[in-house]
Amino acid sequence: MEYVLNQLINGICQGAIYALMAIGYSTIVGVVGMVTFTYGEIMMIGAYGAFYIFLTCGNNILLGLLMSFACSFVLGIAVYKLCYERFFNAPRHISLLCTIGFSMLIKNLAQIVFGPETKSMLNIIPNRIFTLHLGSIAVDFRLLQIVIMLLVVFLALLLTFFFNRTRAGIALRAVSQNKDAAYLVGINVRRTALLGNCIGCGFGGIAGCLLAIYYINFQSYTFGSFSMKAFSASVLGGLVDLRMSALGGLCLGIIENLGITISSATFRDVFAFGFLILMLIIRPQGFAVKKGTRV
Amino acid sequence: MSTLKNLWQKKRWIFWLLIVALLCVPPMLKILGIYKIKALYLRYACNIMMYATLAGSLNVINGYSGQTCLGQAGFFAIGAYTCAILSTRLGVSFWVLLPLCGLASGLIGLLVSLPTLRLQGIYLSIVTLGASEIIRIIAQTASITGGAMGIKGIPYPWLFGLDAFRPEYYYFIFLVLGILFLFCTSRILGSRVGRAWISIREDQVAAKSLGVRTSFYKSLNFVYGAFWAGVIGCAYAPFVNFIESSQFTTDKGFDVLAMIVIGGQGTLIGPIIGSTIVTILTESLRFLGVWRYVIYALIIIAMMWLRPQGIAGATNSILAGGKVKRKPQKGKGAKA
Repeated sequence: MEYVLNQLINGICQGAIYALMAIGYSTIVGVVGMVTFTYGEIMMIGAYGAFYIFLTCGNNILLGLLMSFACSFVLGIAVYKLCYERFFNAPRHISLLCTIGFSMLIKNLAQIVFGPETKSMLNIIPNRIFTLHLGSIAVDFRLLQIVIMLLVVFLALLLTFFFNRTRAGIALRAVSQNKDAAYLVGINVRRTALLGNCIGCGFGGIAGCLLAIYYINFQSYTFGSFSMKAFSASVLGGLVDLRMSALGGLCLGIIENLGITISSATFRDVFAFGFLILMLIIRPQGFAVKKGTRV
Repeated sequence: MSTLKNLWQKKRWIFWLLIVALLCVPPMLKILGIYKIKALYLRYACNIMMYATLAGSLNVINGYSGQTCLGQAGFFAIGAYTCAILSTRLGVSFWVLLPLCGLASGLIGLLVSLPTLRLQGIYLSIVTLGASEIIRIIAQTASITGGAMGIKGIPYPWLFGLDAFRPEYYYFIFLVLGILFLFCTSRILGSRVGRAWISIREDQVAAKSLGVRTSFYKSLNFVYGAFWAGVIGCAYAPFVNFIESSQFTTDKGFDVLAMIVIGGQGTLIGPIIGSTIVTILTESLRFLGVWRYVIYALIIIAMMWLRPQGIAGATNSILAGGKVKRKPQKGKGAKA
């Protein structure tokens, strides 16, 4: 029981990171209208950016997160220019294959530039454990987990504020709903799509940084499977619905961690994708209430 | 010249026979001892033919029915592991295993395609990718597949007293499989089924409105593609003699995808060209290390920008980009 509860805590924390990934992913898919396979590389760049900041400027987590946001934001511009901008009116598989090519490009360039060896993230957040006693059961919280959860909630609230209260955010939502109509009311669709894509990428970068802090060790190939988790989580949420995607990420994290308590840790991805496939059979539109998202 | 043209139109099979005979020459030279070709080069030729068929099976799915399957490595793995397990544990003959592995793989293909029938293309991509990854992880951990150690000592196929362990014999297995694949596929594509696939690729709604049972044909397409991937996987396992899960990563699937993207989708010749180019590039640029993947990636992006249907792809299709879908402009389109 104690073990299961602790795994649940781990699952919620991991789910929080997945939720952040899924929020970024859904932002991209919603605004651009095309699916990306470069998300793993975007997270990777975020992680490397934060890694070098921590290495040079010391334990300043805020600076690290900003740096990872900025790195992924800039990479997002490149992705947009190379993989999306030309293909808005073309069949979808063209931009899809283009993002796969771009992902191969960045992954291997990163291996050349940053080196193939595993990097170890510095210990940014002190390793302290709080124990909560519930009767005879003791539940452990690590400080790292609490910080990550709070950070994700804060970022999600920030994004909600941005989407609902600012002019740019409302424009983004308009583009996400209907590009033609947004064009008619005088929104610069291409620039807004670029902005949305880059913001989504930036959040992906922060998620990558958090993943690197959480798992400590990372290398350029680590993030491939996480990009698929981000995809899965946002599919669970209906691909364009941010809140539901966050919920999907949380579910994915919890199911993974509960799944590996009953089997072994190597089956982590099996549970994630198995859950996704099962979900697609039962309820293909995900958790989202709205139907008819066209992607 | 005109007689040659006439011959090409009337008796095309003569030309095909000629091409096959030419393909048979290099290993025959070696077998008859006329000229000693390096075994390495014959292995490369085997690789080219194997990947040409594998890419062809992916092309059936991606190029002919317009669905984006990203998990061909998974079906390939199913074929290879079925062959390896049955031949090492039960001693089943290779020739029985060939169709059996195909069927096993086709069955998995059916299972994978079922959840996606109601959904649009992109879900299929992610489900195939996920399935391929699940297959690899199971192969990595299960005891029957040898876990991370893999399966060693898969027996070579055996025919007329000839052990096929030398590449000059194995060459013929891949050649025959490739020809069989091309023959079957070209027959199917000319039939009602093939026309249904192509109509789904061009416009699914229109196809449905004309009475094409899109779900059925999409499933069939998927099973057919998976079947051939399984058959090739079965031929691959004895060829390398040792398989383990790291040979079937999603990157392998992307390699095969790169072949059809570069070579061309929606034509039978495209995957062959793609496989030849990619295999030769891989082998000749080996000294570049990681940089050659960078070159691949650049080629893929450049292909998508300049010629999305690939070098020898179907130009008159939706694969060639927005050219078909583009609405006629006022004045210009009306007259034409």
